[in-house]
Amino acid sequence: MKFRANLWIGATCFALVVAGGVFAPWLAHTDPVMDANLMNAEVPPGSEFWFGTDAQGRDIYSRVLHGARISLTVGIVSQLINTCIGVALGLSAAYWGGWWDDFVNGLTNMMLAIPSLIFALAIMAILQPGLTSLLIALGLTNWSFTCRLTRAATLSVKQLGYVEAARSLGYGTFRIMFTQILPNIAGPIIVIGTLGMGGAVLAEASLSFLGLGIRPPFPSWGSMLSDARDQISTAPWISIFPGLAIFLTVLGLNLLGDGLRDILDPHSQTRKA
Amino acid sequence: MLKKLAFTTALTFAAFTLQAQAQEPRRGGTIRFTAPYGASFVSNDSHVSNQIQDEIYGYALHGMLYKWDAKNGKPVLDIAESVQVSADGKTYTYKLRDNALFHNGRKLTSDDVIWSYTRIMDGSKNYPGARYVARIAGATDVQKGQAKEISGLKKIDDSSFSMTLTDKADPGYFLFQAQTAILPAKEAQAAGFFDKPIGLGPFKFVEHVPGSRMAFERWDKYYLTGKPYADKLVISPMGEAAARDVAFRNKEVDVSILGSTQYVAYKADPNLSKGILEVAEVFTRNMGMNPTFKPFSDKRVRQAINHAIDSELIIKRLVRDKAYRASSWLPLSSPAFDKDAKPYAFDPEKAKKLLAEAGYPDGFEFEWTATPNESWGVPIVEATIPMLAKVGIKVKVKPVETSALGGVVVGGDFQAYIWSNTSGPDTLTALKCFHSSTPRSSCNYTTFKNPAYDKLIDDASNEADATKQLDLLKKANALLQEEAPVWFFNYNKAVLAYQPWLHGLQPNSTELALQRYEELWVDTTSPAAK
Amino acid sequence: MLPYVFRRLLQAIPILLAVAALIFVLFSVIPGNFATSQMADGRSNIDAATIARMNEQFGLNDPLPLRFAKYVGGLATFDLGDSFRTRQPVINLIGERLWPSLQLALAAMAFAIVIGVPLGFLAALKPGGWLDMLSMVFAVSGLSLPMFWLGLLLMYAFALTLNWFPSFGYGDGDPRYIVLPAIALGVSPLALLARTARAAVLEVMHADFVRTARAKGASAYRVMRWHVARNALVIVLTTLGLQFGSVLGQAVVVEKLFAWPGLGSLLVDSVTWRDIPAVQGCILTIVLFFLVVNIAVDVLCAVVDPRIKYS
Repeated sequence: MKFRANLWIGATCFALVVAGGVFAPWLAHTDPVMDANLMNAEVPPGSEFWFGTDAQGRDIYSRVLHGARISLTVGIVSQLINTCIGVALGLSAAYWGGWWDDFVNGLTNMMLAIPSLIFALAIMAILQPGLTSLLIALGLTNWSFTCRLTRAATLSVKQLGYVEAARSLGYGTFRIMFTQILPNIAGPIIVIGTLGMGGAVLAEASLSFLGLGIRPPFPSWGSMLSDARDQISTAPWISIFPGLAIFLTVLGLNLLGDGLRDILDPHSQTRKA
Repeated sequence: MLKKLAFTTALTFAAFTLQAQAQEPRRGGTIRFTAPYGASFVSNDSHVSNQIQDEIYGYALHGMLYKWDAKNGKPVLDIAESVQVSADGKTYTYKLRDNALFHNGRKLTSDDVIWSYTRIMDGSKNYPGARYVARIAGATDVQKGQAKEISGLKKIDDSSFSMTLTDKADPGYFLFQAQTAILPAKEAQAAGFFDKPIGLGPFKFVEHVPGSRMAFERWDKYYLTGKPYADKLVISPMGEAAARDVAFRNKEVDVSILGSTQYVAYKADPNLSKGILEVAEVFTRNMGMNPTFKPFSDKRVRQAINHAIDSELIIKRLVRDKAYRASSWLPLSSPAFDKDAKPYAFDPEKAKKLLAEAGYPDGFEFEWTATPNESWGVPIVEATIPMLAKVGIKVKVKPVETSALGGVVVGGDFQAYIWSNTSGPDTLTALKCFHSSTPRSSCNYTTFKNPAYDKLIDDASNEADATKQLDLLKKANALLQEEAPVWFFNYNKAVLAYQPWLHGLQPNSTELALQRYEELWVDTTSPAAK
Repeated sequence: MLPYVFRRLLQAIPILLAVAALIFVLFSVIPGNFATSQMADGRSNIDAATIARMNEQFGLNDPLPLRFAKYVGGLATFDLGDSFRTRQPVINLIGERLWPSLQLALAAMAFAIVIGVPLGFLAALKPGGWLDMLSMVFAVSGLSLPMFWLGLLLMYAFALTLNWFPSFGYGDGDPRYIVLPAIALGVSPLALLARTARAAVLEVMHADFVRTARAKGASAYRVMRWHVARNALVIVLTTLGLQFGSVLGQAVVVEKLFAWPGLGSLLVDSVTWRDIPAVQGCILTIVLFFLVVNIAVDVLCAVVDPRIKYS
């Protein structure tokens, strides 16, 4: 196997971010909430405050680290829920067909068609802001894309020789689904899944922007970014660092997703040539 | 001292505008105005909305019975030329202007006024202006469907009518808003009227692209001869402060309301700083405390909160001096404002002592409902959290959407909230909000109840002598400070940036974004001067 | 093909009804209502009696099933009800906003296709190569910026600094006005298109029929042009169709920022004021468009790839 640059760069980026979140309490210089000292408001990055301070005088470096915990949880957990729902529905619909397929199709079309931000907004408003509500709101509203893709891919793979062969060998339905079909269609699903994690982090930003995100004053990257939009020209560092954190995470996830795709793709060995 | 200084600064800026007006106004050109409060204009019918955003276009299109005289801080007659008040102060007889013409050239008659007010009281429609017109005798009967006509409105002849109020009040304070606009009675009932509405205002309606702009052109037969000056007026709703900033710097718009971040940036810029108009608005930013939450039922706890938060520092560093420190409820522009009253001092030790006396030596935890608003929302709360923590009070933030806050507060579903509430222009109306007979749903949000306060307000209501009334109101305001139903945070300083070619802006303390467009004019340096 | 299209259109009806029901339920349990939302500015107190009257006027006191039945009854005659906020028929409000909204969506999608699809194909030519990495970083940058941020950056760069385009407004057919909002809106589907196109091409490249074609000695160029392009196009088209709906929905932020008179800003205002009929109308319109576009996409797929058959 050749050295896969994308996989390793991606894994490194992501691991860095995860480590930042996990070890935040030890790495952070100050408490992200309580150490708001207005005398230090909007200090540019320097030796005392590595990433500068925000309008309330809080250390952005510490807030970005603590924000990683919330943003990563939101991104990973909600996207995991989405992917599970989407794959389960898409796979079963394509495989079984019939009324179940029609039903899943209808449900997917409905979910795809409703603007997901508005849907999430309504759920957040009902459940009250907070991390759990956020996970539910974002986890239930973005599975349709995965579902559509899974279904389409399954349909095209279903007819192929190896699935037919597995069926004729008497493999059970679930065995065929998970050992024969899923690995062969995992590529696009992983791509969508990794992109979706970034999407979830951003969706959280939009919800914070509308006042229905994470419970302030706890930091999440999205809320830090949306809070700082008026200072974009006067104190750009307040938004640059959470923005970079999002960028690093999304980039890492994408590279990682691509690398995984190449491994999971059973035909990828041909590319050695 | 600081406050006085700030107040003087505001006056200086106002004087600066007056000076600019001394030049000879130029006719022609286009005024490119912005409506800064988020939403798009509701419709072309000014009666359906009570939002400032819609008042902003209403001032161009419509004439009202009164208009706000920003320079003298009081209402003056708009479409009427004279008024006579009866001895009991309840009946007003108006003589309408001879030269007030609707945009189709038809002369205004008293039927139009009566029809417009009757329309607002339509019980099946619930127009927001009903809240003001309801103060005319018999208006609520129309609302309830018990009468077809408002009994307190009597036509005398085509150009005069009388209006009887339910109680003694100056109707100028509530009949100057565009939600009480005078529409042409006959024309307005025709189908499709609101596709291209007409009114009595200085500008004629040209088009409305919903969500993007409303365009007007000069009404040549406006009752003030020679006005308006500009040929055209375009108003664009632009809620996002940063987007407005770009459009303003790019010279695509002539005015922009500034937030605190931009206020600092504009003041520091040698060019932009020349075009800043500041005014002390009649809004009081505050944290309302619910007395049904046990700790807040104790006056000492409420005072402790006022002592524990370093409001001065927050105003200076976070609000960036785009506000004036509040001592009590009434704002700087109120005649009953006490210049010598000292605001609660920042004194954590005293706060701790008060808390201990009230039985909370270790503090307590409360839930604070807040919207994302930068001047009276979560960002402010976040700055107070460490300050309150120092005296042992823990804050749990409960974020809500801006549009849901009103419902939460009126429903009493809060321990504390942070909001910006109107505290003028009429002082008595503002202070009545703390009278125990005012329900929470009207504006007594903290269900404040204090017999001494009630008495002061009742006496003031019945006092005929203006000086004595003012004295009573001052006392009420001082009592309010002592009782501290809210954390008195600040009074808003509204800031409007304007391009060097725009002249005639008025320091309107009721709302700076509301300008009388007939006074505005652009000189030849405007990119839209032609 | 025609019966298939007809069947799909029929299927759209229960979807629309289900969406209507879902929105109905959501907005009846959401905190706040039209009457109380009018107090948000802190100066417009509305007393309890008025709130009660308004709720009565708008039928908000009726039981939910009754309200829904009334609404569906109206739908049958293309009556979307009257907006609480503007007191006008919702269908008129939507009519005013539809064309600008479609203009923006189409411009954004055009931008996304013209840049995104070639980018994806190029990236797939040499997976892991510098072009692949570069296109990835480009795509990810687009995805990792919230739309309001991207819009603001575009404004600062192209309106304020370079002065190439106006920073806001509709401009009545002046094409310069649509450029910045279309880019802001198009970047996210662009990234997604580039990424799916890349994945799709790679997927197809290893399919048996392509390998057969290669084994037969077809040049790489020909393989790319015929087999891969045609098959990848199906996946790209599907992505496009799916993105179209979300572009209409996501236009919310961009329209607000650039004062663009589309459905998105109407939707957000309506949600803010709890104007239920208008929210319903906007969402149903977006859903309807989405469904129609996707039926069209499916038909197109069958044209592009004759192996796809619909019964």
